[in-house]
Amino acid sequence: MMIRAFCFLFLISAVALAQDAPTITVRKSDRVSLAVSPIGGGSGPGVTKVLQNDLDLSGWFELVSDARASFTVGGTAGGGTLQGKVTDNSGATVLSKTYSGSDRDVAHQFADDIVETITGNPGIATTKIAFVGTASGPKEIYLADYDGNNSRRLTSDRSISVAPSLGPGARNLAYTGYHEGYPDVYVIDVASGARQRVVKAPGTNSGAAISPDGGKMALTMSKDGNPEIYITGLRGGMARRLTRTRGVESSPTWSPNGSELIYSSDNGGSPQLYRIGAGGGAGSMISTGFGYCTDPSWSPDGKKVAFTVRSGGGFSVAVMELGAGGARVLASGQNPVWGRNSRHLIYSSGSNLNLLDVQSGRTTTIVSGLGKVSEPTWSF
Amino acid sequence: MKRPLLLAVALGLAFLLPSCKTKDSYATGMDGDFVDGVPLPERTDGSSYLGGGVSKGQFSPVQFGFDSFEVSGSEMGKVQAVADFMRSSKQNMIIAGFTDERGTEEYNRGLGERRALAVREKLIGLGVSGGHVQTVSFGEEMPAASGGGEAAWAANRRAEFGVVR
Repeated sequence: MMIRAFCFLFLISAVALAQDAPTITVRKSDRVSLAVSPIGGGSGPGVTKVLQNDLDLSGWFELVSDARASFTVGGTAGGGTLQGKVTDNSGATVLSKTYSGSDRDVAHQFADDIVETITGNPGIATTKIAFVGTASGPKEIYLADYDGNNSRRLTSDRSISVAPSLGPGARNLAYTGYHEGYPDVYVIDVASGARQRVVKAPGTNSGAAISPDGGKMALTMSKDGNPEIYITGLRGGMARRLTRTRGVESSPTWSPNGSELIYSSDNGGSPQLYRIGAGGGAGSMISTGFGYCTDPSWSPDGKKVAFTVRSGGGFSVAVMELGAGGARVLASGQNPVWGRNSRHLIYSSGSNLNLLDVQSGRTTTIVSGLGKVSEPTWSF
Repeated sequence: MKRPLLLAVALGLAFLLPSCKTKDSYATGMDGDFVDGVPLPERTDGSSYLGGGVSKGQFSPVQFGFDSFEVSGSEMGKVQAVADFMRSSKQNMIIAGFTDERGTEEYNRGLGERRALAVREKLIGLGVSGGHVQTVSFGEEMPAASGGGEAAWAANRRAEFGVVR
């Protein structure tokens, strides 16, 4: 009775939401029931904990006890490996695979395989995030698992290190560093820690976004006398200018196939979102209905843009379906970035980074205690 | 009959010329969009606004309105003082642009740079060579006044001057 009433209420709210914006809303009842049996072996307890959290945060599952479950997850972990197995309620094996790595790594890999096997959607558990934190005093770049765990400081510049962008697979990270006194773009090879200052043109070089193929960067440069969007190689080199306005262009974000960009421009007075071909042409304004729109993030499915809205002295996270219009405010905070499932956003809110499931509306704080945190980026 | 026509053409040109001149340096291209400011010179090795080799505080910072990069008439006296100094001293200058905290970080970096460039354009308009003026933006970092409130915000929306030693 309780459950029925709850479902009914949820349906009503889903309909109400649908009238505000054509966002796909998953009803709670659409979640797949899943039972996680404790993973056996020496590493079992640790792996089980991470795995349960991953499957819960994914938003696709209702974690239940064995009796009611459509699928049951189990396995054995120890000695740097995990043998994972998923069976359906007829007892048939739908996934059986061995993973190697740290306890956290194997749990994340297994979680993503479970999500993909059962729902057909990409998982986010193996992805990485980076962000700006002030735990050591100055703004430095931090790297962490998508759930905020395993965080480590990547830079020790003791100047101003900001605007990180993770490339595909989190192999590279570009950021804006004032190490040499001017804002320049640096690229770090995440595995080796090797760093290169790749864009050091006169003026300000900032806000690099690594392209989906990992080979290029879009960024703001002012060398020609105005802050404009340019495209350059991941190792710098010739920068090709994309925009030509009197105003400020900033925060480019790539379309999934790299053929277009959305960026912020105040050429019309206050910052608004614009869309432009990566080959050039004129930027066309995206009508959001908000007066101050910055930090766009283009969803990997190509359908949505998330961005920051300034209104009433505060910042909000908004999402708009491209082509459909009707931007919708989802949370108080700023700088939203999409996960590779186009379902979750990470955004900053004071000293927290929050993970938001856009379909269910569920918010989880994933980073806190690292000072003021800002400008998250999320690898695909 | 030909002379009045010529006179009229000449008068018309005379009217057109000043209006061309007062038009700012934002040349419009074939398709009507913005072509270029004056490109920045290469950086001076060993000196930067953050790192050193620069004398700060010699000139009053130019103040700006909220979310604006226009140099208002009331601020032009400060720019004039810098132009007078630069024309006689021939020293290089770094203009550092800043914003208040009420915008988002990356946009503020762009806005700070645009403010520095707006002041640079005014200097160029006053006869200073663009080749002697570098710019940098710190966005909302390093506020001149801490805390919130309109007085602090107004103080933080600025372009500062650093004379390269």
